[in-house]
Amino acid sequence: MRWKALAVAAIATVTLAGCYETATPRQYEPGVYKGSEDPLRDKLQTSDLQSALEERFRTAAEDR
Amino acid sequence: MARMKFLCDAERCIECNACVTACKNENEVPWGVNRRRVITLNDGQPGEKSISVACMHCTDAPCAAVCPVDCFYTTDDGIVLHDKDLCIGCGYCFYACPFGAPQFPEQAAFGVRGKMDKCTFCAGGPLEDNSNAEYEKYGANRVAEGKLPACAEMCSTKALLAGDGDLVADIYLSRVMKRSGRPDTWGWQKAYGEGV
Repeated sequence: MRWKALAVAAIATVTLAGCYETATPRQYEPGVYKGSEDPLRDKLQTSDLQSALEERFRTAAEDR
Repeated sequence: MARMKFLCDAERCIECNACVTACKNENEVPWGVNRRRVITLNDGQPGEKSISVACMHCTDAPCAAVCPVDCFYTTDDGIVLHDKDLCIGCGYCFYACPFGAPQFPEQAAFGVRGKMDKCTFCAGGPLEDNSNAEYEKYGANRVAEGKLPACAEMCSTKALLAGDGDLVADIYLSRVMKRSGRPDTWGWQKAYGEGV
């Protein structure tokens, strides 16, 4: 009986330990964005993309 | 560095709603959400005007100012985007926005709001560019491919202009000079401030 109780306790401990999740709450600060970084921000710094967008605008918006 | 802006030329808009359709098609916008819509002022009266309205990507975005979890960020080009993983769907941005841009998909009974959804200037969100995850969450990322928003590129009368603010202003000014009317840049000053 004692072995059974010990086995149940051991199984319960292992099972509950498996369910444990590290809780790291995000601490908000006013006006500070703490989300994921957008790779587009770096891409927009390149002159190639800037000139492509400008060319695209001239093609799309100017009257033919 | 360009400063991306929207401008709807009310003299040219014919209320065809192609911009709305293009947006929905390009971004697979969920049912019940309209990132862009066409508003008609003085409908049915002589001199009625139509304008296409979406997020204007304001210079000093009021949505970002009121967001309690600061899920908004602005690119160097002035495109206002947000992270849906941070958004709690509180709806403050909806009340702050003068253009009614933030939209909330109804996800459950009793009007429970989902994550906020709005026009991204077809620039996706803070995930890998043009990945499936980005497309499902934020829609297309045309800017990363060197393209401009689908709504503006689709506009048959070229009423809706989207691009670098200086180029947009040049084109609009030349149009006004040609037709000798008064400039009517609806929403421009509210979004981008005085003197722009």
